[in-house]
Amino acid sequence: MDTPRLSHSAALILKALSLGYCFGLDVMEVTGLPSGTVYPALRRLERDELVESKWEPEEEAAAKQRPARRYYEVTRTGKAAALAATERYPLLAHLVAEKR
Amino acid sequence: MMRPALPSPLPIFDRGLLRAVEKIVPPAEREEWSRTWRAELWHMHHRGRRTQPPGMIADLSIGLTQDALWLRKESWRRALDGTPTLCLATLLGLSLLSLLMALALTGGWSSLSLYLDAQLKRAMLEAPLVVFVMFATASRRPMEERSSSMKLCWIRRQMFFAAEVAMVLLLTFLLSADICHPIHRPWPATADLLQIFFFVVLSLVGLRWAFRDQEERCKQCLCSLATPARVGRPSHNLLEWNGMELACKQGHGRLSVPEMETSWCQSSRWTNQQPEWRESTSI
Repeated sequence: MDTPRLSHSAALILKALSLGYCFGLDVMEVTGLPSGTVYPALRRLERDELVESKWEPEEEAAAKQRPARRYYEVTRTGKAAALAATERYPLLAHLVAEKR
Repeated sequence: MMRPALPSPLPIFDRGLLRAVEKIVPPAEREEWSRTWRAELWHMHHRGRRTQPPGMIADLSIGLTQDALWLRKESWRRALDGTPTLCLATLLGLSLLSLLMALALTGGWSSLSLYLDAQLKRAMLEAPLVVFVMFATASRRPMEERSSSMKLCWIRRQMFFAAEVAMVLLLTFLLSADICHPIHRPWPATADLLQIFFFVVLSLVGLRWAFRDQEERCKQCLCSLATPARVGRPSHNLLEWNGMELACKQGHGRLSVPEMETSWCQSSRWTNQQPEWRESTSI
């Protein structure tokens, strides 16, 4: 199957997600992209089935005294797209640091 | 869905902003959108820093508005994508744009009506000829409908096709007038000849597109067919079915277009989907 061609910002966001930054705010911080770019891009990636969003379990969040957040996971197609994007934009690998 | 309470309330500005912007979000997605953004804003305010980075709140406000707008745009896209309404609205929009361009070129309504009046009279003679030539030469495949014929659908289809043809002719007329206006004053005869040429060529191209567009629409809801899939093998052309299959997004049916005409499969074939299968086959 052909991997979808991503824009530079979408590739950067997908790369950040594949490195373990799973929340919108974290993606914003690590990529330096504005929220007006990050959140609609996350929606597009989800629509194209490159990522999927889930909700944190309520109990887990309540135990930490914070509201549950929506987090994003890269799908199998998304992983292939992230790999193809890294080949297409070699600097992408250096732009986002792996999450410790 | 129950809206879970936040451990501590959001600032008044954030709550007001959420309430104002959530009206943009389609009702079906509003609750989830609101929950997502309440959580995001809460986390932004409680990130273990005494002060937020400058512009962070403003940036997130833009982000949540963009997110809401995206959801609204996407719901419109889902609702209108491939529909006959969108097709006619696009053609109408392009025609209005061409009219505005003509208005800008001529400099006023009175000079525009003077300019278009003469062109329009000629176009009224040219258009029927173009349509006749197009119908006579178009490779419009005869459609074989396997199910019982639905008269109402057929009437709707013909009305939509007539409207599409009319809109294409209007658009091509205006475009040809726009193209030839700059040379109309110095060389009126050449401009008139060029206008006829452009009108005929553009109309032929536009009408060919309209024919093709009609063929690739659902015969019931008139929406564009999707998911084109190649079926069969070219080397088996004379032995088994080989061609393209397109399906209606609403699950109304399937169009099979043969790659080449054979004695046992000469025309495109529209197969209506049984209503009980629609739910599972709609995209």
